Amino acid sequence: MRRCLFLLLVSAIVLLVSCAPKPEGRIVYGLTLAPSGIDPHVNASSELGIPLTSVYDTLVYQDPATGEFVPGLAERWEVSEDGLIYTFYLKKGVKFHDGTPFNAEAVRFNLDRITSPDLASQKARFMLGPYERTEVVDKYTVRIVLSEPFAPLLGSLSQVYLGMASPTAVEEWGGDYQLHQVGTGPFSFVEYIPGDHLLLRYNPDYAWGPPVYQHRTAQLAEVEFRFFTDPATRSPALETGEADVMGEIPPQDAVRLTESADFRIEAVALPGASLMMFMNTTRPPLDDIRVRQALLYATDRQTIVSTIFRDTSPAAYGPLTAVTFGYDPAVQRYYPYDPEKAAALLAEAGWADSDGDGVLDRDGEPLVLDMVLMGWGYMPEIGQLLAAQWAGLGVAVESRVVSYPEALEIGGSGSHHLLPFTLSDSDPDILRKFFHSQALFNWSLVEDAELDGWLEEAARTSDPARRLALYSQVQQRVMDQALVIPIRDYVNLNGINNRVQGLRFDARGWFPWLIDVTVGGQ
Amino acid sequence: MGMGVGYAGRRLLGAVFVLWLSATLAFFALKLTPGDPAQALLAASGATAEEVAERRAQLGLDDPLLLQYIRYILAIGQGDLGRSWLHGRPVGRMILEQLGPTAELAAAAMVVGVVLGTALGVLAAVRRRTWVDTLATALAVVGLSTPTYWSGLLAILLFSLRLRWLPATGEGGARHLVLPALVLGFSLSGSIARMVRAQVAEVLGSAFVLAARARGLPNRRVLFVHVLRAAAGPALAVTALQFGFLLGGAVVTESVFARRGLGKLAVEAILWRDLPVVRGVVVVGALAYVLVNLMADLLHAWLDPRLREETG
Repeated sequence: MRRCLFLLLVSAIVLLVSCAPKPEGRIVYGLTLAPSGIDPHVNASSELGIPLTSVYDTLVYQDPATGEFVPGLAERWEVSEDGLIYTFYLKKGVKFHDGTPFNAEAVRFNLDRITSPDLASQKARFMLGPYERTEVVDKYTVRIVLSEPFAPLLGSLSQVYLGMASPTAVEEWGGDYQLHQVGTGPFSFVEYIPGDHLLLRYNPDYAWGPPVYQHRTAQLAEVEFRFFTDPATRSPALETGEADVMGEIPPQDAVRLTESADFRIEAVALPGASLMMFMNTTRPPLDDIRVRQALLYATDRQTIVSTIFRDTSPAAYGPLTAVTFGYDPAVQRYYPYDPEKAAALLAEAGWADSDGDGVLDRDGEPLVLDMVLMGWGYMPEIGQLLAAQWAGLGVAVESRVVSYPEALEIGGSGSHHLLPFTLSDSDPDILRKFFHSQALFNWSLVEDAELDGWLEEAARTSDPARRLALYSQVQQRVMDQALVIPIRDYVNLNGINNRVQGLRFDARGWFPWLIDVTVGGQ
Repeated sequence: MGMGVGYAGRRLLGAVFVLWLSATLAFFALKLTPGDPAQALLAASGATAEEVAERRAQLGLDDPLLLQYIRYILAIGQGDLGRSWLHGRPVGRMILEQLGPTAELAAAAMVVGVVLGTALGVLAAVRRRTWVDTLATALAVVGLSTPTYWSGLLAILLFSLRLRWLPATGEGGARHLVLPALVLGFSLSGSIARMVRAQVAEVLGSAFVLAARARGLPNRRVLFVHVLRAAAGPALAVTALQFGFLLGGAVVTESVFARRGLGKLAVEAILWRDLPVVRGVVVVGALAYVLVNLMADLLHAWLDPRLREETG
């Protein structure tokens, strides 16, 4: 009997080894933001999803090619007629890295955790919108109940922030769970030394990947993530071989790397809000639409894009980037660079240089705009170019650089004239964060009941055609009213060592699917 | 050692006072900086204004300022630095994780700075008003005035990218420490060199050196036994005072060389108004500063007997 068992064991091992050869490759992946907390249920940073998208699976996935949702941990799902109940039928045989089985109870545990006030979630909770509760129907069927329809829900559920964590591990580690994360994904979490590195190892048991993954198990043995917060060191780290993949390479370094035989740049355009300068519509002189339109006509975006971004990212013409679902190309017709038209509009609004000092004035008041900038995203450089472009028309700019919390305070109170921001997300509902009268980023201080109505309806409507029509109206209204000066679409310049192949990104353009990455010889 | 207890006791009391003062200053200075932490945490996630207000109350930010202060000081008194608002983890543990690498960098840079600074200073003083003095002083000025983010990049470009001698970034043994320690130590050496030069020059002209020379002691012996020993004290004090500069410089150096450390932790916390972490770093930094200066004073007293008599 014992002998029999032994033989069985040996043949099982032989079988296993021959079926799935243990991968050997290893890469170092450079992360760029200051490493903040990395529990996706708790924290909001965008860099946490770069490693953890491969640690966690989500109920559904979004195919970046079609925008369609495809099965993940749920093999299928139904949405009730009124859009309030989502029923998910879960895959069977799925196990967390610690052996805990995945089932309907685990889904409920995760959603209860995310929505618990004690967890103080910074992002995941809000991605669930009007979430009410989760009901376990049977072992592999689970229902999410909403208090009102919420179109972005599937998009939210496809993101790592709502990834499924092992209930056993969460209970065992409590407040220190973020250092001991356990999911069901193609890689397991080995260790995280805050600020130094994070290590993932392939999960040999993985067999339940979504159809958007090309391999059944990971092709690399290990992926190590390291942090390169200083933009100037990213390209050197790549070139010395200390990192194999590096996000957010500065444009001038990217141009140089493109010419190298050993490295390549993969530019990924991100869906979401373009980098735009919000114009405070309540503070004179920007309460006059003619002045706002004049600034738009006086802005030479193409020069900004080629000077600062070396033509690595496209100029933006509306509040959404061109790759976002719902983007309306009609915005491109608005406000071409036309300094003469800008000058005419300013003159029409009563601005003239009466004292000959080079700055326009009206009723003894010079046209000086208060521009508030943050130190990242090339905002100071953009501010400088804008000021130079507008100076020719007699518009003066006083700019100051502030921190993000301070910018939020300034934007909310409306003590600025101009304040830029950008944010990425795959759903056009992101517009609600900027142009709804109650929004925290309503830095144009717009109050337009119609705009509010469209944004609210679009968030509730599940009919894609209706949503498209509504978002189209929103984008055109934003530009008609000259609420923002769009500058550029966000493009992430990934520097990659040529030995690394098969790197693809999710629908957000930001989170890599590491399962399919392979390495060749040096 | 009868003087020991009184002296040490007074110094200890002073240390506690400095700690209390820096903790208090950190609390109120941070309260003056604009920006609502709850909003910074939640705005980009699409939370509503009500949800932000709820979080603010949850963090205790709506309580009267004095109550918040008393709660904070009492907790610190018990060694509790609170929990990070951003990470949700205990601040004490987060600081401990980052303390090692920063201490390692600070210590290595201190050694580089002291050795280099002393060498430059002594050379300049001994060969006063010659080309050696000019060169050494020029080097000191360069060290003093070169920002580490720039010298750090230059060092990476030269030693890592061009010559491939040393790794550019990260941690893991002495090799990774060399470049950041050299860069930070070099910038520290400037002020030490100037101090040492002035001290050595002064001592060289003093009566007891003249006397020693008059007794026919060899120059080398005069320099190493008498001059250096007398000059070491003030140099030591400057070095200890420069410790604060070192911690500040470590912030930038850590960033350039992609090392973890207290500096990066503090910068992130400041950017996000993660007040418990900022205060924690300030208190721990003050503690380190107090300890280093205490050690320097004791060492100074041991080196220079005149001081023991004055303070004893």
